[in-house]
Amino acid sequence: MIVGRDIKRVYGMGAVQVRALDGVSIEIQKGEFVGVMGSSGSGKSTLLHMLGLLDRPTSGFISIDGVDVGALDERSRTLFRLKRLGYVFQDYALVPELTAQENVYLPSMVRGMTPHECNLVCTEILGVVGLGDRIHHLPGELSGGEQQRVAIARALVNKPTILLADEPCANLDSQNSRIILDLFKKLNKNLHQTIVMVSHEEWHKSYFDRIIYMKDGVIDQQ
Amino acid sequence: MFEESKVAFFLAKRSIVRGNKGTLYLTILIIGMVFVNLIFLPSIISGVAVLFNQQSIDYSYGNLVIEPKKNQIYINNVNELQKKIERIPGITGVSPRFITGATIVHKGNAVTPVLYAVNPDDERRVLKTASKVSSGEYLSEADTDQVVIGYRLAGNEDEKLDVIPSLGGVDVGQAVDITFNNGVTRQYRIKGIINSDSYGADSNAFITKKEYESVFGLDDKANQILVRTQETGNEDKMRITLMSFGVQEKIWTWEEKSANFLNQIIGSFNIINFIGTIVSLIIAIVVIFIVIFINTVYRRKQIGILKAIGIDRSIIVKSYIFQALFIFAIGTIVGCFFLLLILQLLAANPIVFPGGPVAPVVDAMLIVRSTLSLLAVSLIAGYVPAWITTKEDILSAIRG
Repeated sequence: MIVGRDIKRVYGMGAVQVRALDGVSIEIQKGEFVGVMGSSGSGKSTLLHMLGLLDRPTSGFISIDGVDVGALDERSRTLFRLKRLGYVFQDYALVPELTAQENVYLPSMVRGMTPHECNLVCTEILGVVGLGDRIHHLPGELSGGEQQRVAIARALVNKPTILLADEPCANLDSQNSRIILDLFKKLNKNLHQTIVMVSHEEWHKSYFDRIIYMKDGVIDQQ
Repeated sequence: MFEESKVAFFLAKRSIVRGNKGTLYLTILIIGMVFVNLIFLPSIISGVAVLFNQQSIDYSYGNLVIEPKKNQIYINNVNELQKKIERIPGITGVSPRFITGATIVHKGNAVTPVLYAVNPDDERRVLKTASKVSSGEYLSEADTDQVVIGYRLAGNEDEKLDVIPSLGGVDVGQAVDITFNNGVTRQYRIKGIINSDSYGADSNAFITKKEYESVFGLDDKANQILVRTQETGNEDKMRITLMSFGVQEKIWTWEEKSANFLNQIIGSFNIINFIGTIVSLIIAIVVIFIVIFINTVYRRKQIGILKAIGIDRSIIVKSYIFQALFIFAIGTIVGCFFLLLILQLLAANPIVFPGGPVAPVVDAMLIVRSTLSLLAVSLIAGYVPAWITTKEDILSAIRG
């Protein structure tokens, strides 16, 4: 469960200050598929960064599964991201020198899994995202949709509490976008995976259990 | 810790195997060249030291030098002392001699070299000078009005070609006047000209000891005795042996006699070598630093992503250190290969110094020292840029 109370994030110093988040409070239950929507500059990505521990709020409180993540030091936050969170970026963000399989099992290696365990988990998860036959391909040899599915597999490999996706379909055509969204829905339904996804596409709404609309750094409606 | 290193090694390996090969090969080549530079100059300096050491033994001092006791000008009872020393096991030659100053004049050219008065047969058993006569002959025991001179002293008709004051191109068979420091002047015929590559032998003159004694009215005396031993390197032990056999005069080793001259040369070379080494290491550190820095800056976004998915900063830094170590290791191997090639070339075509051909001397300590310096430099050059780049916060890195 994610709990956020009065989260504020102010960028810039001195006279010019941008209030990217201006007192956001949210609760996301386990197993929910939540969409965060809003216009450009509304603060939806900033909120995702806060929940994904990629940035620290200027003020406010965030708890994930009962852990006050604001109190964690940098190393603990890194470990928390590794073990509890999965992150999918807009532009796939794969390591170009690693094959699909290697990109996926990298987080498992860091967790100390043996090569055999890594291979098993990795093959299974790549099968789930429908890339069982592309595991030895480098990112450059895969289409955008396939790369994004590898990125999703990498985010899921450590069985995270929450999957955070920052406009994962922004660089994909509608056919590949649909594949990714169907996959998210399947993961959410079958594995009860909690998913928080940022999007600005109206047609994505049908996939979400709940939508948080943001405007000017605050929640406009839920 | 081990797990982290394993992941770092995995990332480094993949980056090397699947990264830009051109940059990698070029960097390895540069490190190889730096390694050669670290070894080559010191090995030449060692080669020069070995050459000058051998020349000191072969053309100037033998292994041991006996000189008169304190406050005495001559060593007395030289014949008896010579026989006594010759009986000592491990001694292969003993040459009593006089060293003096003299003025030699030929057709208006006057020079003041060191004049050595020697017993030619004894001298042959101690020094190699007699075997380096390039024109004419060396002295014989019975010679009285003959002189052998070094080719530098003989000089050239065109004095611009001379490196020291010379007799203007005197040749074998021509006469020169020698004025000794007791005022006696005698005429001598040039019997031979020496070209030994040894500065001392090639710049001075030699007459027989018998002739010198007749000029000065001396008998059974010398102001220096050179001793040749069977082995080189045990001079200190042999000095003690000589003393135990009753030699009461001052005994020097060849190293002690040549120390100042050699130390000056080696000292100067070492300054050049030190500067060369520092420059080489700076080149190495700059090259590796730039390569790793450009690599990390180019992958700034990727580093941000790795941190975002939970890869600790230390793993990323280590992966770049492993890459730097790989460049160092392969660069060193390539450097060794180049070095072997150069050594082979120099064995076939040696560098000729004023003292003769120099063979580079590569000892194990030099290789170890150079390798460790390069290793330290590689570690620093790998660590610092990776540390700087990974310090950046995740979102700034991801946004590029």
